[in-house]
Amino acid sequence: MSLKPRRVDFESVWERLLETIKGVITCGQVARSTWNDRFSDVYKLCTALPEPLGDRLYLETKAFLELHVKSTHFKIMENEQDLLAAYHRHWEEYCRGAGYLNQLYGYLNTTFIKKLKFTDADLNYGGFAVEMTDHMLEIGELALDIWRKHMIEPLRHNLMTLLLHEIAGDRTGQSVNQAVVHGVINSLVDVENYKKKMAMQLYEEMFETPFLKETGDFYRSEASRLKSDCTCSEYMEKVIQRLDMENLRSCKFLHPSSYDKVMQECQQRMVADHLQFLHGECHEMVQQEKRKDLTHMYQLLKPIQGGLGVLIQDIEEHIKHTGLEAVRSLKTDSVPANFVESVLEVHSHFSDLIQKVFGNDQQFVGALDKACAAVINYKLNPKLPCKSPELLAKYCDILLKKSSKGISESEMDDRLTRCITVFKYLDDKDIFQRFYSRMLAKRLIYAQSASMDAEEAMINRLKQACGYEFTNKLHRMFTDMSVSNDHNTSFQNYLQSKRVDLGITFSILVLQAGAWPIGGTTVPSFSLPQELEHTVRTFDGFYGDKFSGRKLTWMHSFCYGELKFNHLKKPYFVTMSSYHMAILLAFNQSEILTVQDMVTATGMPEKELVKQVQALSETKIIMPEEGEVTPDTKVSLNMSYSNKRTKFKISVAMPTRDTPQEVESTHAAVDEDRKMFLQAAIVRIMKARKVLKHNLLIQEVITQSMSRFHPSVSMIKKCIETLIDKQYLERTANSPDEYSYIA
Amino acid sequence: MRPDSVWSTHILPSDVDSNAGWTAVATWRWVANDDNCGICRMPFDGCCPDCKLPGDDCPLVWGQCSHCFHIHCIVKWLNSQQVHQPCPMCRQEWKFKE
Repeated sequence: MSLKPRRVDFESVWERLLETIKGVITCGQVARSTWNDRFSDVYKLCTALPEPLGDRLYLETKAFLELHVKSTHFKIMENEQDLLAAYHRHWEEYCRGAGYLNQLYGYLNTTFIKKLKFTDADLNYGGFAVEMTDHMLEIGELALDIWRKHMIEPLRHNLMTLLLHEIAGDRTGQSVNQAVVHGVINSLVDVENYKKKMAMQLYEEMFETPFLKETGDFYRSEASRLKSDCTCSEYMEKVIQRLDMENLRSCKFLHPSSYDKVMQECQQRMVADHLQFLHGECHEMVQQEKRKDLTHMYQLLKPIQGGLGVLIQDIEEHIKHTGLEAVRSLKTDSVPANFVESVLEVHSHFSDLIQKVFGNDQQFVGALDKACAAVINYKLNPKLPCKSPELLAKYCDILLKKSSKGISESEMDDRLTRCITVFKYLDDKDIFQRFYSRMLAKRLIYAQSASMDAEEAMINRLKQACGYEFTNKLHRMFTDMSVSNDHNTSFQNYLQSKRVDLGITFSILVLQAGAWPIGGTTVPSFSLPQELEHTVRTFDGFYGDKFSGRKLTWMHSFCYGELKFNHLKKPYFVTMSSYHMAILLAFNQSEILTVQDMVTATGMPEKELVKQVQALSETKIIMPEEGEVTPDTKVSLNMSYSNKRTKFKISVAMPTRDTPQEVESTHAAVDEDRKMFLQAAIVRIMKARKVLKHNLLIQEVITQSMSRFHPSVSMIKKCIETLIDKQYLERTANSPDEYSYIA
Repeated sequence: MRPDSVWSTHILPSDVDSNAGWTAVATWRWVANDDNCGICRMPFDGCCPDCKLPGDDCPLVWGQCSHCFHIHCIVKWLNSQQVHQPCPMCRQEWKFKE
């Protein structure tokens, strides 16, 4: 055929076309050749001379479709018994037919109608109201539009009532033709699907809104029925069941866009409306830790806005209560192990609960953290500083020390890792650090560590939790230990090369003053026994040669030695502190000495000496005269002393346990450290900001120090005062609560 | 005092027991003729501003003129001088004391 436009007789062509259209729209048989011919007929009409007949074709087709739909409507109405099924059948047919028709009119659609169509841009940015009804539609769209106008609109009420009735039937368990209901509901969507704007409007207005209302009504009454004859836990179980079923029902019948809305409606009616009732039950469930009920409760409350708050709060309260109970039941100076282990037990119990019941929901994990922090930082006596950092440090000390208990290495590792869990909750991490470093120092000096690997692993864990700054002194202490080993070897070589015999086995730890927490305590004056003096001088000389510009301070209170007792029936090897050594060595001169003699021999102040003599006399190695010890008291060596072991230790004066004074001085030192830290932080902040309001400054300081400790506002204020006195800061002239940095 | 005493307490001779004897503990700090480094004005017990830890990581050095600085401070100073390398305190030529 020729594509050339020519004169066409509209009437005759239309007659041919109409026949075919009838076939197409009812999905009847149309031969391929006929289809091809009609396709070119459309073309001919659209390109006809002298002027195109597209307009007329469009109008005629529209008139035909209107007629067809009206008659179909009539047919459906006749079928009153099963209106939905009939509608569904006809719709399926019509919908498919309309699709084919659209193809048949391909030429008309693409050339004739496209020109008149609005572009996307017009629709989105046009700014003028687009009258969808007035302009020309593609034939497929036209067919759907006609169906909407002449089929759905008149049936609107009937369809809606029937659909709602069917779904209500499904709810009560009657069998329903799912395909039909689903098909009808979806026809409401499909019929307007081509629209660019508000495509869902018909579906939403005609079906969804009344459906949601009906659903709401149904579940409102359902909920009050359930509530009146079930306990709370049964109620929750039933509600969850209902929600699941309703969800399934949505998938069966509705358009996907409605799923969430239906769910929300149901939750609103059955959960949110009864929030008070559910919240009321939370408390008891939490108290008794009814896991199953709590799981249900969580599942129900989670989607509700603000629904979980009460539950979370109850959980937090409960954890805190349980934890405090566990902590309080320990005696005031309880064994550190009990404290740490009972806290850990509470923690692991509840983190298990939160994982299993609440799926590790962040809000609940947060509640656990808050509660644990409150428990761990709880002060038995509000006036005293919290004991927990000290207890935790002691617990670590017990674990890391050589002991007869003999726990396996992996278990020790495990327990230390769990210590970190507690450590993370500590507010006063700096206090912990002080205690820990003290105890570490003692372990290292007295060679009491069970394993150096474990020590190092622990320090690395702390570093991970709190950063390099926090542990650098601890690392330093470790390095000093290995440096000291080197010193010992090179000193021995030095002695050999100089052919010096010290007469004793000697080893030394040379520590860096700043890094070890042992410098602060005041050392009583003390003159070394002759036997050791030579050694000290030799080492001083050796060290002075090797490192210029360094000065050694001998820490006699930390030195210890081993003496061999030759005065008894069998020889004993006894380890003791330098002070005790000096006292006992004085007895080489005489079996009986007065206290005054000993003061002269050891150079110790009398008070200190008396303390040491008393400690020694408790071991029965020496025996002072009866009565109060005065400078004239005679002390004699016990010649009939015996002990089952030939090798033992006099540990009384070796401070393996922290004395109260030490604890106090530790706290004082921490306070001092904190002031320095705060001042440094204030200067840093002010240097950056130049001018800052008081409250903002406090806020920033608190944020900066959070990882180490929680500073009190009054302490920060004092630090600001100090800095003003030192002329780092000044108050600005124009505002009383503003500071500026003095460069 | 009895002439030949049948007892004596004495420290183990080093060839009998190599384990213990006497274990001494000592701490060291710098002895300088001043408290602060003349360049960075930080205390010698502390470290130079570029370091985190005092002690072995940030040692002191002495010049032949007997002035003393953090090693990091004086090296930085010497590198910044183009012609002469004087001690910042006394302007004599800087030579490290052996």
